[in-house]
Amino acid sequence: MNYPVWYLPGIGGGFLIALIAVTHVFVSHFAVGGGLYLVLTERKGLRENRPEILAFTKSHTKFFLLLTMVFGGITGVGIWFIISLVQPAATSLLIHTFVYGWAAEWVWFLVEITALLIYFYTFDKMDSRTHQLIGWIYFIAAWLSLFLINGIIDFMLTPGAWLDNRNFWSGFFNPSFWPSLFFRSFFSFMLAGLYAFLTSAFLKDSRLKTDMTRYSGKWSLISFLLALPCGYWYLSILPEPAHELVLGSSPTIQTAGQYALIATIITFALILLLTIVRPALNSKPLAILAMISAFIMLGSFEWTREAARRPYVLNQIMYSHGITVAQADALQGQSFLAQAKWSAVNEATAENLSRAGGEIFRLQCYACHTIGGVNNDIVPRTAAMDFPTLTTYLRNVIHKRPYMPQFLGNDMEAAALAAYLAGDLHGREVDLAALVTPTDRGQQIYNDNCIGCHDIDIVETWAERLSLAEIITGLESLSSLNEMMSDFTGTPEEKLLLAGYLHSAAAPAVIDGATVYEQNCTGCHGKETLLDWAGNKSKTDITGGLANLASLNAMMAGLSLDEQERAAIADWILTEQRGGR
Amino acid sequence: MSLIPTPDTIPTSWGYFQFFLLLTFPLHLLLMNSLLGSSFIAVYAHIKGDRQARALAYELAKVLPLLIALTVNLGVAPLLFLQVLYGQFIYASSVLMGLFWILIIPTLIIAYYATYWYDFKFASLGRAGILVLGFACLCFLVIGFMFSNNMTMMLHPENWSGYFDNSSGTLLNTGDATLWPRYLHFMIGGTAVGGLFVALYGRFLTRREQQLGDYASAIGMKVFRMLTIVQIGIGIWFLLALPKAQMLLFMGGNGLATSCFLAALLLIAMVLVAAFRSKVYATAGLLAGLIYLMAFMRDFVRGGYLRDHFSPGMLEVVPEYSPLVLFLGTLVIGLLLIAWMVRAAFTRCVD
Repeated sequence: MNYPVWYLPGIGGGFLIALIAVTHVFVSHFAVGGGLYLVLTERKGLRENRPEILAFTKSHTKFFLLLTMVFGGITGVGIWFIISLVQPAATSLLIHTFVYGWAAEWVWFLVEITALLIYFYTFDKMDSRTHQLIGWIYFIAAWLSLFLINGIIDFMLTPGAWLDNRNFWSGFFNPSFWPSLFFRSFFSFMLAGLYAFLTSAFLKDSRLKTDMTRYSGKWSLISFLLALPCGYWYLSILPEPAHELVLGSSPTIQTAGQYALIATIITFALILLLTIVRPALNSKPLAILAMISAFIMLGSFEWTREAARRPYVLNQIMYSHGITVAQADALQGQSFLAQAKWSAVNEATAENLSRAGGEIFRLQCYACHTIGGVNNDIVPRTAAMDFPTLTTYLRNVIHKRPYMPQFLGNDMEAAALAAYLAGDLHGREVDLAALVTPTDRGQQIYNDNCIGCHDIDIVETWAERLSLAEIITGLESLSSLNEMMSDFTGTPEEKLLLAGYLHSAAAPAVIDGATVYEQNCTGCHGKETLLDWAGNKSKTDITGGLANLASLNAMMAGLSLDEQERAAIADWILTEQRGGR
Repeated sequence: MSLIPTPDTIPTSWGYFQFFLLLTFPLHLLLMNSLLGSSFIAVYAHIKGDRQARALAYELAKVLPLLIALTVNLGVAPLLFLQVLYGQFIYASSVLMGLFWILIIPTLIIAYYATYWYDFKFASLGRAGILVLGFACLCFLVIGFMFSNNMTMMLHPENWSGYFDNSSGTLLNTGDATLWPRYLHFMIGGTAVGGLFVALYGRFLTRREQQLGDYASAIGMKVFRMLTIVQIGIGIWFLLALPKAQMLLFMGGNGLATSCFLAALLLIAMVLVAAFRSKVYATAGLLAGLIYLMAFMRDFVRGGYLRDHFSPGMLEVVPEYSPLVLFLGTLVIGLLLIAWMVRAAFTRCVD
């Protein structure tokens, strides 16, 4: 809203961030753990007086330099670039809040590159004590970089006391700071061992290859075993609802969790095989497999961390679409477009309906949804809903879904977004008149003609025991009810609408199960899901089951149906079962 | 409604960020210039192809990756402080040219690997090395062009409405009359300064190889002198291309800006005298001062462009000074470590 949107509807900005970020973290964690590996391996070579180990360390340093300095360093800047483009508001807030933290991180980045370049170019040329000292400086600088960035990215998920006091240190040493720091540190040491599997696999000297594989494996094994409890620690401190999302209520995290589990098992098995069982088996394919599985482990972790804070980009501070919680609160009941700086239209009208809707999509939905892309494609997600259903869904249901922000805007803007989705994307009919129910129009006629003299209570009492036809007759002879009134003289249609409104006001309308289903359920699942679940259940069982939607599927936490709606859906399900199958 | 986003608050007075910005940005320029000049001179020497020229190309090949690493690192700090002071402008303009802006990253990675390839495989690449490094040079020119676009587009909120016709991140600022002189100013001036870097590097080489060092210094100074003269012409073009209000800042419109301009003119004269007398160290020292002055002048221009919309003094300060102490402490420790390591690299090597 505050910033323009780089609009690539078929790709989605989130995908671009993930692409750069996941590859970067896999290298940048190596840049930390690998630093310690280098300096300790150099020491091993010196202590055991084995020049071949020193030669290995030197060639590993070259690989390390080319990977971490070039790819790692530049993709690190790349993350900064891509988040500025895709999430400018969040980036700006992180930069302004933690500017001196970032500045300190920049200093360690400078120390890191200076140390690594000197370490590499002076290998064999410098006295070994000083050379190792420079290796240590490299490692400490790299770890301090991790220390600083860790505080800032954990802030995004668990801002903790910062929410109340806006204090730099509260935000930095936030609730997930320590578990995440330990997890990442051990993970980086594990990666160092795995990367060294790969360079060891290239060794021609078989004794050296076996020795270095076993040595590297010990690194990975110990670090792996230490990282696991830290991962558990990390999960256990997550606040609700992040904790619940991670433990299964988010389908995307569930998928990530499955990948993580398989990858963890494969990684562990390969480490055991190459460390304890048969180091001599180390080969390029096995080493690469170990790295791929570790890549998936880390990727799943980062994905989970990102997904756990939905619908926020900065938990409890800013929604994924870049609007802060405070701004969203201030927008309640207001026009969204009137306050959006980067919208081509500033008001939704009958004339510009789908264009206004397109602007709203871009500003409120595009942060997470693509159009026809891989990530959260909006097209299938809205396929089951027509224009009026979508409008109702946007107004009433969307904000009850735990990982979606509320719709921001007035009723006309909800209709505009629905018009864009149903009309432009699905080619369905968009008719604003369809949004006006007979009851609404009847109420309007009532407001125009009756409300000046009496309120609805008195009419309800009158209409309570009357049929629709009797009410119409009554409207035609109002003067006989009270001489202050004149007979209603509207068109027959208006008479019917007014009578219908009075009738329903006096005796609440029967709720139609099909409508309840359309307006509450079709956003996420089709009819079959309901019918399958209902199976041979009785009406009581069905209504009982619907009473606690979260227990059916954690994704429905926050949704609820009242007693009448439950009964109506149950009746409708039973009718459908009789008719359909 | 104005398209300029509402800025975030800052933790310390804006002057600190201004100071850090103007302190670090010229360092980035010096490194960037050295990289640009060394790359072009290496390509030139490699094409020339005699024994000594090839030897120079190889010596330069070894420093190019180091220069990239430092250029990038010293670019991070000013970009950070720029985002703090002018975030609402630079984020918006970056989004408008999003595709080109993000392509800087893969372009740079490719160029970076190309320089390592050129260095590590110098002998086996042979003449093909010219293509490898030439390609890296092309990448540098493209990256510079993207920076020139973004740094000028951020100053023109009135042109941002192009977004409503094209939001795919492919806008450029080519309609701006200052874009081309500005770009050429950076690239040609940068190459000139890079020549001076090669001359300095030559002085360093003379300790090992007298002849090669002298050769490098001679070529470097020649490039510096020639391009600096070209640069004066481009500088005048750049000055005249500026909107009148900004140009007049240096003609008495703003006392400080005018003083900077006069001091810069004086320094240019002194730099030229030193350069034509082939005094490498004196030229380099004066030039470093000149680059700082030019960065200050550049800041006046930016302030002039944005005057109607914003000045950093308008940013709301929510004071929190302890993180500043963290940064300053880290900076002191970091610089001490770097000084110690660089000294060790030169003094404790057997080679």
